[in-house]
Amino acid sequence: MGHPRVDAIAEEARQAVSAARTSAELEQIRVRFLGRQGLLTQLLRALGTLAPEERPLVGAAANETKRELEALLATRLLATQDAERRVRRATERLDLTLPGRRPPWGALHPLTRVHDEIVSIFAGLGFSVAEGPEIETEYHNFEALNIPRDHPARDMQDTFYLSESTLLRTHTSPVQVRTMLAQKPPVRIIVPGRVFRRDIADMSHSPMFHQVEGLAVDRSITMSDLKATLELFAREMFGRQSRIRFRPSFFPFTEPSAEVDVLCFVCQGSGCRLCKQGGWLEILGSGMVHPRVLKNVGYDPEEVTGWAFGMGIERIAMLRYGIDDLRLFFDNDLRFLRQFA
Amino acid sequence: MKIPYRWVTEFADLALSAADAADRLVNAGIEVASVIPLAPAGLAGVVVGEIEAIERELGESHGHRLLLCRVSTGRERFSVICGAPNTKVGARAAFAPPGAVLPGGRRITATKIRGVESQGMLCSERELGLGDEHEAGILLLDADARLGQDLITLLGLDDHVLEVEVTPNRPDCLSVLGVARELAALTGARLTPPKPAPKESGAPVTTLVRVRIEAPDLCHRFTARVLGGVTVGPSPAWLRARLRAIGLRPISNVVDVTNYVLWELGHPLHAFDCDTVSEATIVVRRAGKGERFTTLDGQERVLDDSMLVIADPRRAVGLAGVMGGADTEVTDRTTRVLLESAWFHPVSIRRTSRALGLRTDAAYRFERGADIEALVVASARAAELIAELAGGAIARGMVDVYPRRRKRVRVRLRLARLKRVLGVAPPATRARRILGGLGLPTRVRGAVLDVAIPSFRRDLAMEDDLVEEVIRVWGYDKLPSLGTHGARAATTGALPIEMRGALTAALRQAQTVRRALVGAGLSEAITHAFGDPARAALFRAADAGEPLRLLNPLAQDASVLRSHPLEGLLGAVSVNVRRQQPDVALFELCKTYEAARGAGRPDPATVEPRWVAIALTGRRTAPAWHTPDAPADVYDAKGLAEHVLAALGIAARPGEAPRLGGFEPDCHAALVNDAGAVVAEFGEVAAPVRVAYGVDAPVFAAAVALDVAAATAAPPLVYQALPRFPAVQRDLAFVLDAGQALTAAEIEAELAREAGPLLRQLTLFDVFRFPDGRRSLAWRLTFQAEDRTLTDDEVNRIQERVTRRATETLGIALRSA
Repeated sequence: MGHPRVDAIAEEARQAVSAARTSAELEQIRVRFLGRQGLLTQLLRALGTLAPEERPLVGAAANETKRELEALLATRLLATQDAERRVRRATERLDLTLPGRRPPWGALHPLTRVHDEIVSIFAGLGFSVAEGPEIETEYHNFEALNIPRDHPARDMQDTFYLSESTLLRTHTSPVQVRTMLAQKPPVRIIVPGRVFRRDIADMSHSPMFHQVEGLAVDRSITMSDLKATLELFAREMFGRQSRIRFRPSFFPFTEPSAEVDVLCFVCQGSGCRLCKQGGWLEILGSGMVHPRVLKNVGYDPEEVTGWAFGMGIERIAMLRYGIDDLRLFFDNDLRFLRQFA
Repeated sequence: MKIPYRWVTEFADLALSAADAADRLVNAGIEVASVIPLAPAGLAGVVVGEIEAIERELGESHGHRLLLCRVSTGRERFSVICGAPNTKVGARAAFAPPGAVLPGGRRITATKIRGVESQGMLCSERELGLGDEHEAGILLLDADARLGQDLITLLGLDDHVLEVEVTPNRPDCLSVLGVARELAALTGARLTPPKPAPKESGAPVTTLVRVRIEAPDLCHRFTARVLGGVTVGPSPAWLRARLRAIGLRPISNVVDVTNYVLWELGHPLHAFDCDTVSEATIVVRRAGKGERFTTLDGQERVLDDSMLVIADPRRAVGLAGVMGGADTEVTDRTTRVLLESAWFHPVSIRRTSRALGLRTDAAYRFERGADIEALVVASARAAELIAELAGGAIARGMVDVYPRRRKRVRVRLRLARLKRVLGVAPPATRARRILGGLGLPTRVRGAVLDVAIPSFRRDLAMEDDLVEEVIRVWGYDKLPSLGTHGARAATTGALPIEMRGALTAALRQAQTVRRALVGAGLSEAITHAFGDPARAALFRAADAGEPLRLLNPLAQDASVLRSHPLEGLLGAVSVNVRRQQPDVALFELCKTYEAARGAGRPDPATVEPRWVAIALTGRRTAPAWHTPDAPADVYDAKGLAEHVLAALGIAARPGEAPRLGGFEPDCHAALVNDAGAVVAEFGEVAAPVRVAYGVDAPVFAAAVALDVAAATAAPPLVYQALPRFPAVQRDLAFVLDAGQALTAAEIEAELAREAGPLLRQLTLFDVFRFPDGRRSLAWRLTFQAEDRTLTDDEVNRIQERVTRRATETLGIALRSA
């Protein structure tokens, strides 16, 4: 075994460790033996003063004792700390039902949630997003879309005007026109944005609301493609079981035109409050781009055909979340908004 | 528009229920809002009864004499007590015997009134749910009404009314005949339109009345008939019942016939008292500017020269296509009727109707486009009915002034076009049958259908219009569907467009901003783009232009477009504060709207800068056990602006010259990008502004200019090697005298310059104000070298230099420990 001087220190240390009861006592022991001025440290530092033949023996023994002591202290420290923690817990009585410190988290506006969902569905189908100004010319908003000067929609009754020829766009369709004027077919875009109609705000009207417009123009686009695309959309938006129905309708900028209903996702068509017993929910208007619109942007209706649709984001959000008053979206009451966090 | 279904079946031999017919119409694009039984809900067992005798009086009740009557229903007799003023022997009336049920579920039983038994009840219109009439007494029926007949059958109430909503391109469906034609086309039923054959006699009409059209651009055709010896009086029960069923009030036989024919055939007619038209001459002309005219409803209207009037040589007698005049209307004394059936330009009618706020059934049809050919039939039909109901003789012929003859329209439909547009197509024979069924005569020329467009389909002008007609009738459900064909390759295969699915940069930027702010605890608001000019003025910076103004706002407080990013958002703050939610943290991605300046202006000449607006008031965080309450302050607003910019990868620094108005002047600053452009502003909202919004507590706000941010090049992300040598930290606190105007940024800049390249980080970690006004600012300086471990001596020397610089150059004192 080691060396008598070292063995004495080692024995003393072992006894001290086994007598220690607290982590504080163990720390005192560590300082006494292993600290800067500790007994072992001093011994090692003083090796040079020993006889040359003794140095390796004492050195080796001291180092081994140091390692042994370090390990012993570590083990005992873990055990005592553990015991101490348990004692502390027992006295402190942690109440883990207290609310946690949660990082702050706000809410996206429900219209944004629906907007993002719609955009991501169509982006996934390869549509690119296009945007345009909200203050528009009569030409882009009406004329180019085959809405003649005398059409009722162009009345001061229905449209906000800034001047004779500028207005707040009444739909996102002028972006169709701007996009087609700027590029050759094929075109495949969706256009989300704010639109304006001169309606007094009530449960189902708002002078400002949001639309998403879709447009596909190419050599062989048919109404069957429109139906298939919207069917895909409905399944993504309203669930795998979703079905849609086309009903003939009229819009100046499409021919043929179709109103699109989705099978009520609450009652699956059997009739309920949401669908007013009808079994179907009207969600959007659509149709084949009117040949005159294609001509207006310099496309040849014999060369290309196209489809377009437009839907109200508010309408989808109201259906989706069971919201019955359009004004809630623009009141921005936090008790409303936070429901969508 | 209310369409009684039985009336429709008079023209088409339909083997469908009303509900099924409605379904067919809906699927073909004619909206049917409701199908409602014509009979009042619950009404049952009420029959025709005759008052055979009044046996005695039972005294008065509520001012009416109570009479004990003997009522016969043909097979049975009843003793009935009745207090109606119009009770008289021999009258036939609506009678509810015991067991009958009135609307609302009231079951009639024999009861005792003043000790006398009453076996049933004679009923008023109101009691039967047929109208409002009650004071006049019981509902009297025609003398030839069959005794005991069910009232519902007698009045033709065993029917359903379709509430039809027609899109503006289909005025031809604004009539019973139009709906019948559509249903016949959809079902293959036979259509038998009325073929009036008025019995004419006496003088030719051309000797009785003259017509002159002075505005042929607005009136393409005007016809007139004259009927003499007419007796104006009430219409028979069947006609009154029909008018009530369609929601019109019966007036007199002559007027009722014009309304009836309008509903039946869709063409508006007008009946004048012929003797009030001076010189028996009709002039169709533009109104004079400021011309005054009193319409049928007794209102005096001021006209202008865009409006068309029907006049005689002396004055206007009718507002063309909109409403007749009070002076010339048919009255009880009228014996000669001038019947107008004409065609007016839709635009002129719509403008006139809107300008005067006169929405009439006639105007509604003319402004959508009436049938210039069918007006002849309408005139004949009305003349025939008036003669039948009001007696009199129909003068020979019809004055027909037709200056703008309708051109024949032919449209070619290539069969291949059907497939090209629809993706599917019915067989050619089917397509042809569909068009024929709609009343569109079609000739086949090879693979082309040559279609003659009738005058009632003004909406059909080009090939694709016919494509729609074909698929509409064939059925939109014939378009192939994913549901039946599985995930068709056609969905994507038929759209060989480059699959990009790209979001715009603006949209991606908006998503980043939203994520950052929602993650920071703010909620998103969306507000209206227009607001109150008085409020907008409060926001306006001295050099800002006027906000853009709407020509036709809905209200004065919504008449200017947003010119300041906080305009809408503060409204949302106000809503919440007023609703007992004093702690608000909101943001909005919005635009302001401005006139474009300078050259290269866009069309329209406006710009729409994008912003994210942020507003905070009340407590910074919701009250919680672990965090003491603290009010939000301007550094929250600044921090959120910095947070947004950081999320966008933009390093911003304090800058001069904030531009936005609406902030407290001494609590308002800007952040600029590397190029020195203002990219964000923040501060405390000026007190007058928030007070105008009704918010008492301080509001802190920020606005980040997203277009400026988008134009700011975010520095490229390049990896920096991690430090290999330890860092050394030193804390330095300085004291500023109360009067010293130095800013933290100025001191920091000086410290950093003096410390040199070994300074890695400079963090202001403590700010403290002494009671005497002196301020203490404490920084932690972190030093680190890339190639060695720094020695204490080295760092001490830098620290001394920095301290000296601060005390000597900036004149601030090192705070003693």
